[in-house]
Amino acid sequence: MAEVVSPVPGAGRREPGEVGRARGPPVADPGVALSPQGEIIEGCRLPVLRRNQDNEDEWPLAEILSVKDISGRKLFYVHYIDFNKRLDEWVTHERLDLKKIQFPKKEAKTPTKNGLPGSRPGSPEREVKRKVEVVSPATPVPSETAPASVFPQNGAARRAVAAQPGRKRKSNCLGTDEDSQDSSDGIPSAPRMTGSLVSDRSHDDIVTRMKNIECIELGRHRLKPWYFSPYPQELTTLPVLYLCEFCLKYGRSLKCLQRHLTKCDLRHPPGNEIYRKGTISFFEIDGRKNKSYSQNLCLLAKCFLDHKTLYYDTDPFLFYVMTEYDCKGFHIVGYFSKEKESTEDYNVACILTLPPYQRRGYGKLLIEFSYELSKVEGKTGTPEKPLSDLGLLSYRSYWSQTILEILMGLKSESGERPQITINEISEITSIKKEDVISTLQYLNLINYYKGQYILTLSEDIVDGHERAMLKRLLRIDSKCLHFTPKDWSKRGKW
Amino acid sequence: MSKLSFRARALDAAKPLPIYRGKDMPDLNDCVSINRAVPQMPTGMEKEEESEHHLQRAISAQQVFREKKESMVIPVPEAESNVNYYSRLYKGEFKQPKQFIHIQPFNLDNEQPDYDMDSEDETLLNRLNRKMEIKPLQFEIMIDRLEKASSNQLVTLQEAKLLLNEDDYLIKAVYDYWVRKRKNCRGPSLIPQIKQEKRDGSTNNDPYVAFRRRTEKMQTRKNRKNDEASYEKMLKLRREFSRAITILEMIKRREKTKRELLHLTLEVVEKRYHLGDYGGEILNEVKINRSEKELYATPATLHNGNHHKVQECKTKHPHHLSLKEEASDVVRQKKKYPKKPKAEALITSQQPTPETLPVINKSDIKQYDFHSSDEDEFPQVLSPVSEPEEENDPDGPCAFRRRAGCQYYAPRLDQANHSCENSELADLDKLRYRHCLTTLTVPRRCIGFARRRIGRGGRVIMDRISTEHDPVLKQIDPEMLNSFSSSSQTIDFSSNFSRTNASSKHCENRLSLSEILSNIRSCRLQCFQPRLLNLQDSDSEECTSRKPGQTVNNKRVSAASVALLNTSKNGISVTGGITEEQFQTHQQQLVQMQRQQLAQLQQKQQSQHSSQQAHPKAQGSSTSDCMSKTLDSASAHFAASAVVSAPVPSRSEVAKEQNTGHNNINGVVQPSGTSKTLYSTNMALSSSPGISAVQLVRTVGHTTTNHLIPALCTSSPQTLPMNNSCLTNAVHLNNVSVVSPVNVHINTRTSAPSPTALKLATVAASMDRVPKVTPSSAISSIARENHEPERLGLNGIAETTVAMEVT
Repeated sequence: MAEVVSPVPGAGRREPGEVGRARGPPVADPGVALSPQGEIIEGCRLPVLRRNQDNEDEWPLAEILSVKDISGRKLFYVHYIDFNKRLDEWVTHERLDLKKIQFPKKEAKTPTKNGLPGSRPGSPEREVKRKVEVVSPATPVPSETAPASVFPQNGAARRAVAAQPGRKRKSNCLGTDEDSQDSSDGIPSAPRMTGSLVSDRSHDDIVTRMKNIECIELGRHRLKPWYFSPYPQELTTLPVLYLCEFCLKYGRSLKCLQRHLTKCDLRHPPGNEIYRKGTISFFEIDGRKNKSYSQNLCLLAKCFLDHKTLYYDTDPFLFYVMTEYDCKGFHIVGYFSKEKESTEDYNVACILTLPPYQRRGYGKLLIEFSYELSKVEGKTGTPEKPLSDLGLLSYRSYWSQTILEILMGLKSESGERPQITINEISEITSIKKEDVISTLQYLNLINYYKGQYILTLSEDIVDGHERAMLKRLLRIDSKCLHFTPKDWSKRGKW
Repeated sequence: MSKLSFRARALDAAKPLPIYRGKDMPDLNDCVSINRAVPQMPTGMEKEEESEHHLQRAISAQQVFREKKESMVIPVPEAESNVNYYSRLYKGEFKQPKQFIHIQPFNLDNEQPDYDMDSEDETLLNRLNRKMEIKPLQFEIMIDRLEKASSNQLVTLQEAKLLLNEDDYLIKAVYDYWVRKRKNCRGPSLIPQIKQEKRDGSTNNDPYVAFRRRTEKMQTRKNRKNDEASYEKMLKLRREFSRAITILEMIKRREKTKRELLHLTLEVVEKRYHLGDYGGEILNEVKINRSEKELYATPATLHNGNHHKVQECKTKHPHHLSLKEEASDVVRQKKKYPKKPKAEALITSQQPTPETLPVINKSDIKQYDFHSSDEDEFPQVLSPVSEPEEENDPDGPCAFRRRAGCQYYAPRLDQANHSCENSELADLDKLRYRHCLTTLTVPRRCIGFARRRIGRGGRVIMDRISTEHDPVLKQIDPEMLNSFSSSSQTIDFSSNFSRTNASSKHCENRLSLSEILSNIRSCRLQCFQPRLLNLQDSDSEECTSRKPGQTVNNKRVSAASVALLNTSKNGISVTGGITEEQFQTHQQQLVQMQRQQLAQLQQKQQSQHSSQQAHPKAQGSSTSDCMSKTLDSASAHFAASAVVSAPVPSRSEVAKEQNTGHNNINGVVQPSGTSKTLYSTNMALSSSPGISAVQLVRTVGHTTTNHLIPALCTSSPQTLPMNNSCLTNAVHLNNVSVVSPVNVHINTRTSAPSPTALKLATVAASMDRVPKVTPSSAISSIARENHEPERLGLNGIAETTVAMEVT
């Protein structure tokens, strides 16, 4: 979707590779590298011990993304292959199964173009190539990199070369995002300027592949970030980043937060409340008018959204923050952002339920709310892609329940079998037609019978739906929504 | 078989789909196969992530169980919600308003500092709080301002003081702390901030740069043009704003100072009251003591407003002064100085000589004047910038302007005293410093505006100044001036004065040649002109004859006479101009003739006040200067030379003069010395023949003959004997010639108050003297009388010297 900063083109790219080899002679020869732990370099793959949800030990294959040395003790940042990046972690030497270590393949020396981000499971070869590129002379561990330059030196060099052509290219391909993937020059360029997500990491490098914040304290919660977020770099070394629960401002220490709270009198998101039912409220925040909050929110959200991009400012977005009220104020639960004007029928850009509130129905509530807004607008909408795994599950779940609710609610009229068109479903729910179809498909409802397509509601589907709906207590009450859509196209730019 | 047809048919979103419940389903098998015909919709996920283990597991679990299974969910990093100090952190409660919360758009910005204190700061604060009170918020505001005012470059302590409205000690403490802390700080700022993009695109891939502006793309080319201009405008705006800020800060400081002054005054008054010092005696005592020690620091202002102002003079008003104001200040100041020698003396008491003008410190000048906002008079500028001349400036382009960074010394004591004695004289004195229209003899031309000045050893130097009239002035033929000047002198002035050119004020801007000439004629324009020149005899005769005052010189000397005489009060001082040729030819004669006189003169001069006697040593022909003793040596020399060239007549002339005034007579004739008390001003302009350099000798007529005289005398005796031919020169020029061959200073006392026509006139009037011959005329007449040989001699002398008369 977005313009990709494809990995470095040949010349620029070889340099890091060479450096990498220089540092680790055994790269090319696994045999040599086997023994000492010092030989474990970025790009190696090996089984790493990890405890699963059931508290069982597993040894999934993992890739070493980074190595750091803390007071003589080596730590390895591992990405578990076929696991989501959010599970990446720093592990000690003991958890590595060195017997099965695989070193980056030789072909790394001759890097070829590839746009595949290393964090995604791909063929080992591709990964290897990538690794070599990523391996940087400077230690990529954020805490150890000099604050001044995030990129290793070579990165800077290649950027300098690439910057100019990049622009040109960008303008050419603004409309056609797909080609960026296989653009042979691999020149990095800015991502497109619409939307909030990147499908290919436009700035996918070793830095953004790794979590940089250890812990965030927000209100009464302590969150472990899942992904990289561009908080000021000097804050990435802190054990805990303290956020004001209401304005989301970040501070270095508890003391700072304390001091901040004497000055911050916010007890709710700094926007207009447009929905309230019970303790649940929604606040609308204009990304242009309230930049600092919007940015703080994005920074926080980025910790949990892999594909979110903070490349551009927040101006073209509205932020709908869902809060839960208690005597201390309106606590943020989750939010979604939405383009003021979407050219692609997106009614959601980014959507997030903060981890402490996950799996309690808030996500679906957010989604539901987003469709409520679309209903008011009289449009159908769909979330911006790509979806994350959790996003997909949530949306599918929401779509399924919403559609099933409608289907099951249809009464047969005058003995006739109830029927409905896909368009009707879409109109009623504001779910975009394609999403309706995919959901029906996913639920296996579409069948062809006697020369026509029919929707079949099998018993287990119905049962499953009914059980699920019993658990779904949080619902949006459209009567509680006080929302007047604005026609942003008439207001100039955003 | 049927499958083919199924595939052909697409799912129509607009077509109603009948809904079957499972139990209604007749034959499920058919349906399953059919389902595959419907195109698979993309999930919307990244391909690679779609296959992730946990997702697939969750999807399949859902498909199987139709609901979430706890064990099958996608695992995420844990989050805790057990911050136990939460309620202590977030104090107070917030009642949910009944109405929906509505935020006013502009209420969002409060003026709170972005900086939040940390525990390190708290330690500092606790430490500081032992000495003074500082609140955390106050501290944060300070740090906040410091941070926001600095980029990569930290603000300086000075800037910090402007920035922070706090006690100096506190600022220092916090500033030092801040600088230290910032040095140790990893980030670019103590207020953590998101990295900003750089416009050059170098940060395009910096993952820590976020929220880049999107406007880049949207800028149309049209705008780009404006950008540069508007950028400059913004820069200018910024500059001006910051200037405004500076001014305001200054005002603030000034008002502060005023307040302090007030308090001090109050205190002093109180103290005096307690001491019973009603008469101010104690205060004066203290003041005197203090002023001896540190003059500037004394709050003399308390009791003497004027005094205060004098000191304040040294400060220059910041930006408010327009050129005019400055110019007027200059003028005012000029007047002030001679009149206020005491104030100056006070100020300059620290300097070696009391007469010297106060040394002006640059810093003083640059400093803003905080004296008062409502003062009615502008602070005076001691050293105004040299600005283009102002029309209103009475001195015109020739006005003397002090330059910043120059040290100016007060007039010499003797002169200063004189000027003080008599206000009239003081006024005259002023004029002396002007640049006057000046003409040279040898390169015979008008050099435009020049000013006489005393150089080392009393040499007179001409300072030329360029004006816009220069081109016009160059055209002026000295003869033109000569011709009418002589007449005008007699007309306008008492006989005492010999005037070559009469002039009054300087011309205004841009005069045409004719205008200038007419100005000169009408005495509106001052003009100095060497008398002699090689005028035609006839011309000179005419000139002289016209002059009423020429009684003395009946005989005409050849035209080449250089020196001019100024008459002092009573006596007529005659300066002889001598042309080179004359001199050469008649050196010997001259020598003989003049020796005695010269010697006498010199001796007298040396002894200054003592009566003059003819000196046995006749100085070579050269200087037979004899003027009244009182006259400057230079003038005396000239006179002498003149006399020499035309011994007889001159003598008589001189004698007459002497009779009139003085006992002391020098010079050949021993005639008249102008009385000491009287002033004779001689301007002798000497120029070496080949060289255009002009030396102006001027004798100002002040009673005191001056310092120069001794020098002249001493030198002359030595030089004279040595070469007769040159003697004249040497003598006249005496030391001058020695020092700088080119420029020979003949004379002498520039330092003396400037003799103005008025002054002379008055003096003369008082003396009741009959108008004497104007020196030039006298000289010229003398020269004529002398005939060729003499002429030569005279010329020889004159070659280097051109005498001018001063009016």
